[in-house]
Amino acid sequence: MDILGYKCKKCGQLHYPYRLVCKKCGENEHNEFDAVPLPRKGKLVTFTFLHNPPADFMVVKLPLGIVKLENGICITGQLKIPRPELGMAVQGEVEVVRESGDGKNYGMVFYPA
Amino acid sequence: MREVYVIGIGITSFSRLDYPLSEIAAYPAMMAMKDCGIRKIDHLYVSNMGAGRINGQTGLANAVIDTLSQTPAGAELIENGPASGASAIKEGFMAVGSGMHDVVMITGAERMREVNNLEATDFIATLTHPIAEYIYGVTLPSLAGMFTRMYMEKYGVTDRHLAMVAVKNHDNALLNPFAHLHQKITIEGILDSPEAMTNNPYVSEPLRFFDCCPVSDGGACVILASKEVAEKIKRPKIRLAGVGQATDTLAVHERENPTDLLAVRRAAEQAMKMAGIKPSDVSVAELHDAFTILEIVESEEVGFFKKGEGHKALERGDTKLTGRIPINPSGGLKGKGHPVGATGIGQAYEIVTQLRGEAKKRQVKDAKIGFTCNFGGFGNNVVCLTFVRED
Repeated sequence: MDILGYKCKKCGQLHYPYRLVCKKCGENEHNEFDAVPLPRKGKLVTFTFLHNPPADFMVVKLPLGIVKLENGICITGQLKIPRPELGMAVQGEVEVVRESGDGKNYGMVFYPA
Repeated sequence: MREVYVIGIGITSFSRLDYPLSEIAAYPAMMAMKDCGIRKIDHLYVSNMGAGRINGQTGLANAVIDTLSQTPAGAELIENGPASGASAIKEGFMAVGSGMHDVVMITGAERMREVNNLEATDFIATLTHPIAEYIYGVTLPSLAGMFTRMYMEKYGVTDRHLAMVAVKNHDNALLNPFAHLHQKITIEGILDSPEAMTNNPYVSEPLRFFDCCPVSDGGACVILASKEVAEKIKRPKIRLAGVGQATDTLAVHERENPTDLLAVRRAAEQAMKMAGIKPSDVSVAELHDAFTILEIVESEEVGFFKKGEGHKALERGDTKLTGRIPINPSGGLKGKGHPVGATGIGQAYEIVTQLRGEAKKRQVKDAKIGFTCNFGGFGNNVVCLTFVRED
């Protein structure tokens, strides 16, 4: 499984998350985007440990971060990194990130590269 | 556009209120009608975020207009997250400015204490991007924590600066009878003492408990009117002189420069340009300090200080009640409280009180031009207002 970015067929602008209209060229025909898997390697831009996270998360502290991927796209994800540092190299895996009565959500979880 | 004036204001205490949401909206409205002696309005805007979800009540404006016995005047609910209040004021400004109505009431209300803190935080978290943020457990405090870490790294802001915002706004709130928190705090108690980690635990590192605003119930109201109506009312004349609004990407990670709050910058520029003023003309401001870092960053983005220097102004005491540009004399969201749908109107209430010279112990000297910044989402949708006293 991959996390997908959306590339405008007309101008090549890559979007994550998706849009229905290209933010660069304004193209707005339906299905004018190619879904492309996002790369997994990147650098940690920032992070936090969220204490007492929402009820779906059975942890005391939830580590969250923003990662700049190799292709320049940024993504928010969970971290499985004991001592995160700004700028460190990280490697993403797609895993279950939230499980609730509504089912399972898959998303990017980052580990030390 | 016609000129638009604030003729009446009202507010409830921001705290825990054990009466129905429609009354939280109606009491400040009655107070505002009494304030200006107006008995009949042309239109009502109600600002609220959570009625449908946390109070199980939709169509709140219909309940409020009827509670106030103002039918058959038109009424609408305005929802723009935590910026609902200023958004509703903007709608009222357009309604009077366009000439469609002469007297428009804008009342905001929120009753968030009906649910526990975790549920309230999760409710606010539904503002985030559903698939790119929310599913990961992202909440507003976590976005603020990640933002703070970048700001500390880039500009040298420390946890001591954040604590200085909290101490200042708690001090101001002590002078405001409507404020949620009447609690004196010190840097020693929340940062330096052996008990600090117990008094002030982490919420979303590096942000701690006293960096976050409380969850509040509360309501606030302003009545806007045309010049013709305002001239008949024997109160200091306060003109709503500028309105600005700007949006930014829903997912915070998508912003080109992650330490900028571009929507704040753009909304402030518009609100000041429309009023024909510069940032240095402002005598008092209410900024949206849901987290202490936001007061510092907004004070830069609206143009009071250079980018990256807000914390230095704080060190100099520029933003205290007696400083060059007092910020959050009401106590801000941090001290006064944050009933989300009412917050933007609460800010306007404070600025009008200041410009009228009726703020008593927290009065800013010679306040002539006031400014508010109401911040929706994590800077996704920001509304700024400029108020001018006319003598």
